[in-house]
Amino acid sequence: MGSIKIFTKAHCPKCPAVKEIGTVLKKEGVPVLNYDLDTIDGLAEASFYSILSTPSLIIEDEREREVISWRGVVPSLQEVRQYLFK
Amino acid sequence: MATVIEMKGDQQEFKKEVETTDMALFVRTSDEAMYGWNRQKIVDALIRETYVDFDTAKEIAQEVEDLITTSKIRMITAPLIRELVDTKLVERGLEQARKMHTRLGMPLYDVDQLILHPNKENANVPHGPEATNLTLAERIKKEYALLSVFSQEVADAHMRGDIHLHDLGFIDRPYCSGQSLEYIKRFGLSLPNSIAMAKPAKHPEVLLAHMVKFAAALQSHFAGAIGWDSINLFFAPYLEGLSDPELEQLAQMMIFEFSQQAVARGGQAIFTDLNLYWEIPKHFENVPAIGPGGEFTGKTYSDYLKESQRFAKALFDVYQEGDGSGRPFFFPKPLVHITEKFFQTPGHMDFLYQICDVASEKGNTYFVFDRGETAKISECCRLSFKLKQTDFEDAKQPWKMRYCALQNVTLNLPRIAYLAKGEDSKLFSQIGEFVEMAVKAHLEKKLFIEKLLSLGEKGPLALLAMDRDGSPYLRMHRASFLVGMVGLNELVQIHTGQEMHQSKQAFKFGLKVIAHMKLLVDKFSQRYGMHFVLEQTPAESTAYRFAKLDLKYHSPKSGHIVKGDISKGEVYYTNSTYLNNSAVLNPIERVRQEGLFHPLIEAGALTHIWLGEARPSKSSLAHFVMKTFQLTQNDQIAFSPEFTTCNRCSRTSRSLRSSCAYCGSEDVDGITRITGYFTKVSSWNKGKIGELRNRYRNQAFMEEKEGRLALEV
Repeated sequence: MGSIKIFTKAHCPKCPAVKEIGTVLKKEGVPVLNYDLDTIDGLAEASFYSILSTPSLIIEDEREREVISWRGVVPSLQEVRQYLFK
Repeated sequence: MATVIEMKGDQQEFKKEVETTDMALFVRTSDEAMYGWNRQKIVDALIRETYVDFDTAKEIAQEVEDLITTSKIRMITAPLIRELVDTKLVERGLEQARKMHTRLGMPLYDVDQLILHPNKENANVPHGPEATNLTLAERIKKEYALLSVFSQEVADAHMRGDIHLHDLGFIDRPYCSGQSLEYIKRFGLSLPNSIAMAKPAKHPEVLLAHMVKFAAALQSHFAGAIGWDSINLFFAPYLEGLSDPELEQLAQMMIFEFSQQAVARGGQAIFTDLNLYWEIPKHFENVPAIGPGGEFTGKTYSDYLKESQRFAKALFDVYQEGDGSGRPFFFPKPLVHITEKFFQTPGHMDFLYQICDVASEKGNTYFVFDRGETAKISECCRLSFKLKQTDFEDAKQPWKMRYCALQNVTLNLPRIAYLAKGEDSKLFSQIGEFVEMAVKAHLEKKLFIEKLLSLGEKGPLALLAMDRDGSPYLRMHRASFLVGMVGLNELVQIHTGQEMHQSKQAFKFGLKVIAHMKLLVDKFSQRYGMHFVLEQTPAESTAYRFAKLDLKYHSPKSGHIVKGDISKGEVYYTNSTYLNNSAVLNPIERVRQEGLFHPLIEAGALTHIWLGEARPSKSSLAHFVMKTFQLTQNDQIAFSPEFTTCNRCSRTSRSLRSSCAYCGSEDVDGITRITGYFTKVSSWNKGKIGELRNRYRNQAFMEEKEGRLALEV
């Protein structure tokens, strides 16, 4: 199973929806990392992945390689699960 | 009024001296005149120039007079008296008064050396009388800036080397600027203090002449580069009906005009950036075009695509040839904007091949990447203005699109790491303090410039205050205040033990540092209602200066960290956010990795691809450019070949050599990019020479392919 990185920002209307996805999956034991672009760590991590807009969500495999990413759009919980457990 | 002669009147020996050395008891002043000794003058100066009270001033004047009468001084000069007064102020603990009363200038010995030997701080300035004038004036203005414009705190931070205040010698000017040709197309050339006024040009050669004159006037009001937006487009309405030879002629004239030395700023060439577009930039599509006579032609700029493109091609034909001896033109610099629309505009691949051919052959082309909805005006080696929504409104009246950066203050990042001694929290809080110091410096400079501007068109910055279209030429509300950085790589090395290219962790740490700086400048921007932005400092001499100062103050640690050869004094820190320039990296990887920083560095960034003597095929470079646009966030790239020019036979060959490839003479000079422009290596400072030695020239990535060399990525 891979892990998820979620990128959000304050005053971003679509961000709560993606955060919700993270909360749900975390409860199921998926490693979820939340990054707030208004913080140093958040902005740095976002830059590393060339995240320019929020919300964004990246799925990585066990070797920290990107499996898929949604940038500036909200994926459905289903889509995320699909790629997570491939 | 007591004269020294009268006071000593009764002393026999002195009388004898007086008869033989009358001249010495006069005071030689700076107006090249000689006046009889007058103690009152000291009092007057103190009252006029400082806050010292009348009684103290009288006391001091008397003491100085006593000092002179009891001494054996034969030649009294005004500077000497001033120094003696200063001593009296110091004795009384009147530091502030002494600062206000002090004399600025240079020792005789230094002036002598200066007139004879070239100054290497700016590789652009040739050695000559104008250059010497420039250095002398800069020296005084620098002292003035540190004493009178900036607070003691900021001045000390600069002198210590925590920060670097750029272009102190140009304290009474803004830094770099972005201009619009539309201004002189519409209003003609009517500059304050000029003796003649010119109506808007009717013909392209005259427009060019206006542009050159205006650029020269601007050059003496800015410290840095003069960038011109969409220049091929704005010339286009004047180019209708021109034959190919006529167009080639105009292109040649433009490049030759801007490649020659001007007069301002010590005789150096006007640092000119030409922004070029293959397409019609979206924000100009429906804008009414201004043409001959400054009149609206009745068409919009979309209608001039053909002329605009023809002119761009003609310019690159000239760049391809090089100058009279085949050398690359150092100026003007062509910046081609690569956008989504570029790839949708017919003929773009041929044009891309042409500009890549020039990049490989001569190295001139800068590739600026405007992805998504961004548009940028570039000037300087990498400074750019990201156009905001309000600017797109201004685009309807393009003569309003004037931008500038008021000042650049650069942080010494390795210094911060030495001070933090490996502690994260200390490091990040220290970064905050340094940024705060930079902001303070900016506020102080802004205040000063506003003071000068407030005197309007009769004041010292008349050109910048001139108002022809409802706002002053210098639009303060669109000014940027730059916070630059040097040596991120070394900061990471000191703090984590690894350089950024050595591990993902080290690299990510570098991103953290810059993310921190970005969030800080955003906060300060909000707080002060000013536009503070990060910039990749070109650091021509700053990287050298910081390295030297750190060797002084942070040895022995710094000895292991600075790059270059300490024994030769060729030391430097890695520029801004660059990866170590000697690291063996696939160039596209370097472009990609360095590009990850670029979105954080709003005022502009650049990645160099050093070619050495290789001349890769235009198709491989075009491929590289497209990959950069599609797969990275990199803001701007430039390919830099190297050349050797012979002072004896005037011919130019590729690669840096110690003797001429044609005639064998050893009287040769290297030519390549120093930071953001081409220049002769003999004019480089030691730090840059050290860096030149270390540049990785991508040899492992050059491959023979179908008989041509290709940059294989």
